[in-house]
Amino acid sequence: MWRTAASTLALSGVLACAPLSEDATGFSYLCGETPDQSFVVANDHVTVGGGAICGEGDPNLPPEPRLPEQVCQVLSADKTFPDENRLDTERIQTALTACQGVGAVKLVTDGANNAFVAAHLDLKSVTLWVDSGVTLFVSRNPDLFQKTGSCGVAGASDSDACLPFISVSGTSPAIVGDGVIDGQGGEPLVGHDYSWWQLSGALRSTDGSIGNPQLINLDTGTTGFLIYRITLHDSPKFHVKITSNPADGTCDAPGEGYTVWGITILTPSKLYNSQGLLMTPHFARNTDGVDPGTTNTATCGVIACNTISTSDDQIAIKGGHLVKDLVIAHNHFGTGHGMSIGSETYGQVAGPNGLERGVQNVLIYDLTIDADSRSVGYDGSDADFNGIRIKSDISRGGLVDNIVYQDVCMRDMNNAILISTGYNPLFSGSSFPEFRNVSFQNVRHVGCMSDVQPVVTIEGHSATRRAGPIKFDNVIIDNIGPGAVAAEYADVELGPGNVNFMPRGTEVRVANNISGASQPHGCIFPVLPAPQLPPGWLRGP
Amino acid sequence: MKAQLLALAAALPVLGSFAGGCFPSDAEPSGSCQPEPESVIDCRAPGYGSELLPAGLIARSCTGSARPDLDDATYVEDVPRGSVCADMGPLGDTGRRGYCCTNGPVECAFDPHSDCDAPTYGYRCWGANRPESLNPAMSCTNGNRDGAIVDYCCASIAEFKSAPRCQQSDTVGCGDHLLGFLCQSDRLPRGEDLGANKSRADFFHPVCEIPKPAPNPDYKTYCCFMPGLIPEGGSCVNHTFVPGCAGGRFGFACYGPDTPEDDYPGMACPEPGFRGTSAEGYPATLYCCDMRFE
Repeated sequence: MWRTAASTLALSGVLACAPLSEDATGFSYLCGETPDQSFVVANDHVTVGGGAICGEGDPNLPPEPRLPEQVCQVLSADKTFPDENRLDTERIQTALTACQGVGAVKLVTDGANNAFVAAHLDLKSVTLWVDSGVTLFVSRNPDLFQKTGSCGVAGASDSDACLPFISVSGTSPAIVGDGVIDGQGGEPLVGHDYSWWQLSGALRSTDGSIGNPQLINLDTGTTGFLIYRITLHDSPKFHVKITSNPADGTCDAPGEGYTVWGITILTPSKLYNSQGLLMTPHFARNTDGVDPGTTNTATCGVIACNTISTSDDQIAIKGGHLVKDLVIAHNHFGTGHGMSIGSETYGQVAGPNGLERGVQNVLIYDLTIDADSRSVGYDGSDADFNGIRIKSDISRGGLVDNIVYQDVCMRDMNNAILISTGYNPLFSGSSFPEFRNVSFQNVRHVGCMSDVQPVVTIEGHSATRRAGPIKFDNVIIDNIGPGAVAAEYADVELGPGNVNFMPRGTEVRVANNISGASQPHGCIFPVLPAPQLPPGWLRGP
Repeated sequence: MKAQLLALAAALPVLGSFAGGCFPSDAEPSGSCQPEPESVIDCRAPGYGSELLPAGLIARSCTGSARPDLDDATYVEDVPRGSVCADMGPLGDTGRRGYCCTNGPVECAFDPHSDCDAPTYGYRCWGANRPESLNPAMSCTNGNRDGAIVDYCCASIAEFKSAPRCQQSDTVGCGDHLLGFLCQSDRLPRGEDLGANKSRADFFHPVCEIPKPAPNPDYKTYCCFMPGLIPEGGSCVNHTFVPGCAGGRFGFACYGPDTPEDDYPGMACPEPGFRGTSAEGYPATLYCCDMRFE
């Protein structure tokens, strides 16, 4: 759907909003955003608006990563555009292989030459450094990513069809730098008149699983992965799939397993592709931003100081194996399907402390999610405007426990908080979602451009498989009303800070411990990177 | 289910001349239902472990063909409402069957016209809640979407576990364009048996080859496709037990003058049809055919 403005006054950047329904609570919030809160690299650090170093002094985080001191090989660009007839695959792969355990492979500009283009790469125990000004393009030739025979084939629902662009493995592999990796997901494939995203979109109505290349995929056994400062655009499928753990298997400090710090994901990055086709976020299906735990376990992670706008989950914590001990701090999200956990949460892994399951011990704080940053497109759906989401169903459910959300600001979501055990009700099974301790503290949702009332959903599975305790402390969802709160089979605790909605529904038990005064969490939204808007759209860049 | 209904609707005039046009599910239920104390029927249900927990269900019993959820089923502006009841089996020798039912209306309604295989029975549901979420004393198959409504086949947990199953499986080894299914006993593949990543957008009943035996004698393997719309007036339905039709070919029963070649594009039936009975037991012309892929 196109988002329409509650008032075009929002264009001026300042707006006191009126309730969207008679039973909604009134509110006053000054709309607008500021570059002072945007992440920028300054003095070789990821900073907040060029000032404070992001994450500095945060006791939950390790020190900011640094660019490599040891460079093994420097490769210079020899082209200005992604020429499919002059691929760089071989020379980059040769350098990556030669530099294993030695130092970084650095891609640099050479005068006006600033482009590399490559097909599948193996990055094992080495650092790939994409320097400022360089764009490493993903080849558009599906034959170079062929795995099962279905890669690039229209109509094929084969999630394993293609090789990833970069397969990461080994010890302390890294992808760093101020350059760009561009997946070209919206551009026509070599020999075809359709793009990776059109292949995926063709399967949307049947919920088919597209096998497009992942941009970055970590193999089982990887330890200490780092991705730092790089910008990722237009992945054909998910951007970063993380399977990484501490080298010694124990989490002594956050980030020993993997670190995602200061990266920018913007997908789609262009308003129009080279054929003049409009690229909206809804168009780029299955392009999750960062997904810990997809392929195998991901433990002891840090995801900090990142900016993510994409067309699927900005972050999706996948519990199909085990994800635990993860800190997600100081992040800015634009469009996307949510700060998500699931839908797979059924993982079971035998560890030194016995059987460990699903998703555990996740701390998420200082997060802004701003659906207002871009129009999603005429055929967008509710799912394109999710805030915080925990999703699973009985075909893939399991334990989600000890999840904390603190200091979260959201704007113009359709689903501000969505805890659902019915992600896809079509599927049967006996893997029941088991959502246990989940807490929200200092969470605020504001509305500026949306004319849709935000919804809070808190759903356990059934009377005998309840969710909870779900705790809300100082959680204010502007514009919410009783009709916008759906709950069932859940144990809910409110307070001591104010909560401006009351979950009611089948088998919902509420312990109301609200003690009185609390100030709604203050929200300031950063200016987010976005493609330039065409004339006539509601908001300028 | 939609495909089945369409096929039956097309066949009704023909069936009428052969079989009187009546279906058992159209008959009024005989018998009555009444509440029962918890001491008579244990309506607790499992939680995350094996321990049984109070599930908020109410115990009822019925005589004859009556069911509590059949009495309760309504459709208001196409939204199903009713109760969802797990059939807990006979209550001793009382002649009554016990049920554990949702307490109060839910957005699912018992579907007396479903063609769920026994011991499962059908519900039509609105929204994201599956029947076993509303009633944790039961289990259900994959759902089949029919517009905003999803159809399920359900049974009590114990009955469901014992029911023959089919599972869509890529290991069956079917030719191009065909989906493999591994089925227990005489159970036939259905749309609800499709795997998580398979399209279930078209039709409920796949059209399947005459089965081949699986390595495990308790199973059969089927290779199937999901058919498109059957033309108006089409009366041919898949029949996987056509006498003399070899494994790997497609059997059909036609109630009218049309042939499988008329109703299923790509189907070639080199031998003439012969009189017999359909899988449902009605007189029909039987065909043995092959799939031609262009």
